[in-house]
Amino acid sequence: MSVQYTPVIWNRNKILYDAVLLIAVALYLYIYIRVAPGFEDVTKPLDGAILRMRAFGSCAFLMLTVILCIGPLARLDRRFLPLLYNRRHFGVMTAGIAAVHANYVLGWYYAFSPTDQYVALLSSNTSYGQILGFPFETLGIAALLILFVLAATSHDFWLSFLGAPIWKALHMFIYAAYTFVVLHVALGALQGTGDPIFTSVVAASVVLVSALHFATGRMEARRDRGDETAKASLQEKGWLVAGEIDEIDVDCAKVVTLADDERVAIFKYDGKLSAITNACAHQNGPLGEGKVLWGCITCPWHGYQYNLTDGRAPAPFTEKISTYRLKLIGSTILLDPNALPPGTHVDPVVIGEAA
Amino acid sequence: MSWKQTKDAPFFVGYLNAVPKQLVTFLLVFSVCFAGGLGIAALALSSTQNDPGDGGFQWGNRFENIGIMELRPYPVLRVAADADNPARTYMLSGQGKRGVFKQAEQHHDNAVLLRGIPVKRGDLTMIQVNVRRIEAAEGEGADFTPSEPVQLGRWKLTGEICDGKCYAGAMRPGQGLAHKACADLCLTGGIPPVFVSSGPVENRNFFLMADKDGNLLGDEIKPLLALFVELEGDVERLDDLMVFKVDLAKARILR
Repeated sequence: MSVQYTPVIWNRNKILYDAVLLIAVALYLYIYIRVAPGFEDVTKPLDGAILRMRAFGSCAFLMLTVILCIGPLARLDRRFLPLLYNRRHFGVMTAGIAAVHANYVLGWYYAFSPTDQYVALLSSNTSYGQILGFPFETLGIAALLILFVLAATSHDFWLSFLGAPIWKALHMFIYAAYTFVVLHVALGALQGTGDPIFTSVVAASVVLVSALHFATGRMEARRDRGDETAKASLQEKGWLVAGEIDEIDVDCAKVVTLADDERVAIFKYDGKLSAITNACAHQNGPLGEGKVLWGCITCPWHGYQYNLTDGRAPAPFTEKISTYRLKLIGSTILLDPNALPPGTHVDPVVIGEAA
Repeated sequence: MSWKQTKDAPFFVGYLNAVPKQLVTFLLVFSVCFAGGLGIAALALSSTQNDPGDGGFQWGNRFENIGIMELRPYPVLRVAADADNPARTYMLSGQGKRGVFKQAEQHHDNAVLLRGIPVKRGDLTMIQVNVRRIEAAEGEGADFTPSEPVQLGRWKLTGEICDGKCYAGAMRPGQGLAHKACADLCLTGGIPPVFVSSGPVENRNFFLMADKDGNLLGDEIKPLLALFVELEGDVERLDDLMVFKVDLAKARILR
């Protein structure tokens, strides 16, 4: 959290994250360019520029695959949440690696010609009407442009400037970028003479990303269905049954899904209950999967914090989120599904003072 | 379900330097697997790349020969037989993705002394000409009459249309769809197109291409570049160079 915009607010965990990332990428490139050619079964070595463009291109593809796996993995198993914390650095580095790949392509396949490189890039192959021979470079350009925009707007300044809904919608274009990259590879490199290992790696990557998203979607749907069953079991003058006190661990929350798919997190702490929206004001992180630390709800994604009773970030921070009213009947928690304006104070329900 | 937070579950907050102990081992194992996995992927992907062939620039074997410059329809140099070699016909290109049409037209059907670097792959040889050092020639090697082409009949061949320079080894690899845009630029710049056949004609798999009337090919060749195609046309032999005069209207993309 920060009240001012600095390029990067470093901490030990971000440095470790980036160090692991840099080491892994450097290892990949070093092995691809320096070590593996020694094991190639070729009459003469590949051109250095082509070897490097393949190294950087395949590296960017694999990095993008891992990035897209982090989200669903963190939903399925919370031990992966630390990977989410600094994912934007992962994304920016991927855009950089992809740019180096593009630069090698431009500087080799489109060089040595009387035609300007950029003109040649867009004009040399215009067979858009055919699948085999389609100008797959255009798909790569589209993906690279998206990656650039996402990298450039990854900073919290843009999140604040655009607002969370627009920013989030913009960054969902990462899926469009991945689709373009997969098509770029499928209509380009994979159309060459058979390379079963490369084909297998690309296919496995696409299956992995799709399967993880499918599994996460099923998990979310199951959870929503379970919540709906609970809330339909009893209604009292507009109040919804949200569950039992015993279902919630101390300093933790239960998430309830409302009819309009809005999710509410009900926290139990210090013998009390409070309810807030489940979406963090920062990046819509799931607050209900966070914990109460130092008397504040703490988001599991980036650690943004909010007061339990009014949904306001502690001073000097200014973020605020919607709150909800609760009441207890015996040990049953009832929730008023009408969200209160962000930052509205609601007295917590004291456990043991049930009606 | 995993979305439900519990009191005992480790909770990671990025800006707190202390990582819960339960997560440290997990994250260490993941980091090693991530870096190791990328390393193994790099080794697997890079070491199994397809052989780009034996083509390449013959830097230690500079070309300097007297011959007759012809347009067939692309620029070629016809060199007379000598004691060691039969008559040869060399395809010509300029520097980079440039042809030598201007120079060939200037010296059309005349004897020239030509210097350059051979780009050679198997029995396909392309000479990258030093265009500033083409000189009109006289004397030995200049006063011969090149033979007429030998007609080898009509053929239907399958294979790939490439630019003659990259396929010969100016780029390794210099074929395939990844190279299509480069081949397109080369042909636009005046590099002769060659057809690389999957089956030989008189033990030759490389053919200089022309249209069915023996003229230059136009933009109609571009949608067929770098694909596996079936072409039909007349084949003729020009010394050691095969020429495939194709009827592109009958071309078929096979894959």
